[in-house]
Amino acid sequence: MAVTVTKIPRPDRSLWVQSYVPEVMRGLSITSKQFFKNLFTKKDVVTIQYPEVKRDYPERYRGLHRLMYRDDGQVRCVACMCCSTACPANCIHIEAAEHDDTSIEKYPAVFVIDELRCIVCGMCVEACPCDAIRMDSGIHTHPFYERDTAFFDKPALLELGGPSVAHQGGDMKGVQGHH
Amino acid sequence: MPTATINGKEVTVPRGTAIIRAAAMLGINVPHFCYHPALSAPANCRMCLVEVEKARKLEPACYLKVTDGMVVHTESEKVVAARQAVLEFILINHPVDCPICDQAGECKLQDYYMAYDAKPSRLTTGKVGKVKVYPIGPEVVYDGERCILCTRCVRFCDQITGTSELTVVDRGDRSEIRTFPGRELDNPYSMNVTDICPVGALTTRDFRFKCRVWLMTSTDSICTGCARGCSVHLDHYLGETQRYRPRFNPEVNEYWMCDEGRLSYKRLNANRSGALRVGERDDLSWPRAARMIAGALADAQLQPDQIAFVASADASTEALVAGHEYALNILRAGRFYWTGRADGEGDAFLRCADRNPNRAGLVHSFGEQILERGADRLLKDLKSGGIRALFMMSSALPFGREAVEELAAEARKLDIFILATSHAGSLSSAATVSLPVAKHSEQTGTWVNIDGVAQTVDAAYAPPGVAIADWDVYRRLAAGADAEWPLDSVDAIHARIFSDEAAE
Amino acid sequence: MLTDILLILLKIVAVVLLFAMPIGSLMTLLGDRKQSSMIQNRVGPNRARLSIIPGLGRLPLVGIPHFLADGLKMIFKEDAIPDGADRTWHNIVPAMALFPAIVMWAVIPFHDHYCTGEIVVQNYRDICVEGQTRNFFSIANLDAGLLYVFAISGVSVYGAAIAGWASNAKYSLIGGLRSSAQMISYEVSMALSVAGAILIYGTLNLNEMVVQQGHLIGGWLPMWGIVVQPLAFFIFLGAMMAETKRAPFDMPEGESEIVAGYFTEFSSMKFAVIQLSEYVATVFVGALIATIFLGGWQVPYLYGDGFHFGNTPTAALELPYWAVIALRIGAFSFKTIFILWLQFMLRWTLPRFRYDQVMNLGWKIFLPLSLANLVITAFVVAIL
Repeated sequence: MAVTVTKIPRPDRSLWVQSYVPEVMRGLSITSKQFFKNLFTKKDVVTIQYPEVKRDYPERYRGLHRLMYRDDGQVRCVACMCCSTACPANCIHIEAAEHDDTSIEKYPAVFVIDELRCIVCGMCVEACPCDAIRMDSGIHTHPFYERDTAFFDKPALLELGGPSVAHQGGDMKGVQGHH
Repeated sequence: MPTATINGKEVTVPRGTAIIRAAAMLGINVPHFCYHPALSAPANCRMCLVEVEKARKLEPACYLKVTDGMVVHTESEKVVAARQAVLEFILINHPVDCPICDQAGECKLQDYYMAYDAKPSRLTTGKVGKVKVYPIGPEVVYDGERCILCTRCVRFCDQITGTSELTVVDRGDRSEIRTFPGRELDNPYSMNVTDICPVGALTTRDFRFKCRVWLMTSTDSICTGCARGCSVHLDHYLGETQRYRPRFNPEVNEYWMCDEGRLSYKRLNANRSGALRVGERDDLSWPRAARMIAGALADAQLQPDQIAFVASADASTEALVAGHEYALNILRAGRFYWTGRADGEGDAFLRCADRNPNRAGLVHSFGEQILERGADRLLKDLKSGGIRALFMMSSALPFGREAVEELAAEARKLDIFILATSHAGSLSSAATVSLPVAKHSEQTGTWVNIDGVAQTVDAAYAPPGVAIADWDVYRRLAAGADAEWPLDSVDAIHARIFSDEAAE
Repeated sequence: MLTDILLILLKIVAVVLLFAMPIGSLMTLLGDRKQSSMIQNRVGPNRARLSIIPGLGRLPLVGIPHFLADGLKMIFKEDAIPDGADRTWHNIVPAMALFPAIVMWAVIPFHDHYCTGEIVVQNYRDICVEGQTRNFFSIANLDAGLLYVFAISGVSVYGAAIAGWASNAKYSLIGGLRSSAQMISYEVSMALSVAGAILIYGTLNLNEMVVQQGHLIGGWLPMWGIVVQPLAFFIFLGAMMAETKRAPFDMPEGESEIVAGYFTEFSSMKFAVIQLSEYVATVFVGALIATIFLGGWQVPYLYGDGFHFGNTPTAALELPYWAVIALRIGAFSFKTIFILWLQFMLRWTLPRFRYDQVMNLGWKIFLPLSLANLVITAFVVAIL
């Protein structure tokens, strides 16, 4: 088997460059310029002093989960498990139960999200057919001292939540034109 | 024998075969709702309409019989358009509540919609409201809105169980399935209607909202509720059996199974024990425990007549063969008994009075005469004394709670009481040695039913704790006793079983 | 006799605790962290606070509390020794690394000998009349001072080599081998490059070298080493940086390849001591280069009694002796810190060499150049 050899020519450098010292000086002039500039003016520093100064999050920033509720304050979630199925980190645990109100039928008796396990991918929000779970709280997952406190249960998630105006079961308007 | 051409392929079928069957022989699936191979064909869902050349309109494949020279197209433009129209009609009043419907994922309507229609509804008026969560029977819940009125359930009750509880009431888009006045869907096979229901209209109370079907893994297994040994799909999730569904087996149960057997899966989950305990110690490994057991048996210096071995009609044939080998050659037991669950109600269809799944395997391994030495005899012999060591294969007993407590109290008086059990209970706490074993969902095993049909099943998931397969218990105990053990794999045991059969 | 010993002890304490160690350890903060942050448009360490001291609780203090916190942390960290490591050597080695780095300071002159009498400036030299000269400003005034430095820096290779070997780890061993190969290679050109300066000054005594650098060529140009031996200055600077394993010669601890080289397996105070010894050695490089090439404690035109412009017997601007001493020690410190600053600037300016480049530079460039420099210097000295 023939081996193809590509010869890469050595870079052609002048003695001036090859003697190294002038080029080192040139490099030093750049770094020193930056050094003195920042020593006396702090002009180019890009660091944000986080706890005191906060960066504005983009509108679609994914923060802590929240559960939305209906007009009457009931949780919108119908425990379809779409979010827990879509979740790549398996961090959503739902136990479905039968609701006393027959118009609701199925609801989550237990809804727990392990925020430590969550990888904040937003797939649960995409999967939700009921606009029940959202990640638009704008609160990022903070550190936890105890693992247990990272399990957000239904009341905790509802506390962050708000009413959703989306039509339960989908919006029927505009369907005719689409067909 | 007429010969027809379906989608360009020729097929010759017996006279009187419906097109849908002939197509199935060619591997062509014709979408259908109301047709079921075990039931009559009313051709009311119109989903299986196919194009038959020289016919003026589309014909139902489930009803029209194949005639010689018939040319059928099942996926032509006309047929697909008809299917779309049928689906649209069905979906006019369907609530499309798939997120909360237990059928979602195994729903025919969902599948066909995705395959043929996949369009939003054109309906601008409201949907007709019907009954929701209607308790049509003690085990079955009915949802009128999801129902597509295929009447499979009605025909099941008419033609299979012959109990005829169900009918269709009202007319037009107000039609619903109901029981006749004063009746309810309470026959012993009632939950089969939820299997044959193509949509989520009929659901079992037991499985309702329990687990989404796409999360479960299905393993082919059998029901161990009685001596029939119905073939089932064992659906499990996270190492726990969620439900049984009957699996088609023309030799045993065809498409059906009884309600009692269907709910017997609960025994696989409840009160399980995976802990290996010798005396007070529960932190031992199997080899260590096996050595301690062998040592204790050797130290006791018992005569064969003082040692009793209790075989179980609940265990797999592999376990019974291995247990027999162990009892004869290593334990050197002189007395043999058998236990199992008490007889129940039987009928002429599927349910057997014998509630033990493997009495035939027991007889095969230990001989006919052991059947005379049941649990009552064991209790009597324990009371009369003479037995000092007892090995029990299972904690399944035909007694009520009081008798079990009595047996446990007697067993506590023994020098050595070894119990191989999958469940924790008063008997396992009375035992000096409690060995955890797997259930049939967790091990490979062969069960022989009342008609002599042997079914070998594979493990669906891992047993709890340090529990192992029944037959493996005896291999490990033999290793602990430093004894020669010929049955060191399932294959070796199978070789033993089949050579025995050949000898007979 | 006793007072002499006490004086020496005092000087040791002063040099080590007031100069070498503070500058050496502060560099971990100001040089390695704050300076690099400024070059890289960052803020650098500024979060730790001395909240126990009232008034300072809210000030970042250019990050100095971080350095104190680090020290505290190092003390309380677990000392982990790898399985199969040579425990004895593993424990001894940090001391072996720190020892030469500190001992080398013995010959560095911070100022000329103290004159108890009056100073007369003659031919660019301070001459002490009606009094004695006392050695207050260097720990030991050795005539073989430079040889002593070379001898001790030759010993310092053991620290790194044994640290790598005693850790029983592959990265450590490779780091140890690299450092010994590199230090031995550069020792040659280091000594040869400075030989030219020895020829010119005609002495190995570092204080005498500095005194001679007070000479003004043509009455205005200070005869510093960098002026008469410019090539040697660059070679010596490069060789010394290679000796102390500073970037771009930091192959022995090349973290992209061998984690942290020979001290990968050291933790807690043992790690801190090794790290400190490196920094102290780096400061020493600054002090030595300042002494040989930048006129040491000399301030241009400043002599014992004040500023002289030209070879004049009387000062153009008279200063009290204590002010002269203060100025000179300040000048020496400034020169030392400047070289330090330069080393850190170079660290963030130049990428790390490849190992063959390090060896090429040492044997094929520095060595012939320093030999040529020596020969030419010898001819020039012989002719003049």
